[in-house]
Amino acid sequence: MNGPLVPSGFLTPEVGLVFALVTGLLFGFFLERAGFGSAKKLTAMFYFQDFAVLRVMFTAVVVSVVGLLLLGGLGQIDFKLLAVPATYLWPQALGGLLIGIGFIVGGY
Amino acid sequence: MKWDALHRGEQGYWSPYLAGAAIGLTLILTYYVMGHGLGASGAFTQIAANALERVAPEHARENAYLGGYLGPGSRWQSWIVVEVLGVFLGGLIGALTAGRFRVQTECGVQVTPRSRWLLALLGGVATGFGSRLAMGCTSGQALSGGAVLAVGSWLFTLMFFIGGYALAWFVSREWK
Repeated sequence: MNGPLVPSGFLTPEVGLVFALVTGLLFGFFLERAGFGSAKKLTAMFYFQDFAVLRVMFTAVVVSVVGLLLLGGLGQIDFKLLAVPATYLWPQALGGLLIGIGFIVGGY
Repeated sequence: MKWDALHRGEQGYWSPYLAGAAIGLTLILTYYVMGHGLGASGAFTQIAANALERVAPEHARENAYLGGYLGPGSRWQSWIVVEVLGVFLGGLIGALTAGRFRVQTECGVQVTPRSRWLLALLGGVATGFGSRLAMGCTSGQALSGGAVLAVGSWLFTLMFFIGGYALAWFVSREWK
């Protein structure tokens, strides 16, 4: 049962669609528990008031980087079948900048 | 750091490290099952593409940008719409079970609800356009791309913080 399960053919895309609802529910629930439901909390780190959002984000990234590397090292997940976002430096830089600005304008 | 003391327990939020680890595990599970990460903004583009296809099918399919969302085969297509529906429901369940569900307009001390709504719309336009330029938002790029160490995603994250902090520096006095 090697991952990723849908691209490797172990599970059908239809099962994947049901999984989408499950993983979305988990993601949404944990985001709410982290306080991301509040725009005020979401932007507070930019005013040096509350760094919870930054801690949540980086903990999530570190946990998943380490976890995925472990799964790959143990042969449980095939990195070649993973969809890694393509690199387009200028659009991604400008897009990131615009979203940062959008957070401040729209945030609070 | 009184804000930090405030959010631990008193408002019922989890420790940021616990919540972050839970989100990280959810992301690992998603990569393990689907081979891709979590997203948010793409769902709205997908819905827009499908809506346009209903009204003007040929135009939608021939459109260089939206056409890519309409061909058969992309495993990301309807998946992200269902996922975002799950995020909405998961957030709703979270707010209801924590007793945080309220109809309200959060705004800064010197901002009226009316201008907050207008600013939210403007910020949403910038965020929406930026997320399409970058092919993802803080979920698809910063979180999911960051997790698989995509170079462009890390650049995106860096620029996100630069954009946020740079503008916040100019407006923080008004909004404190």
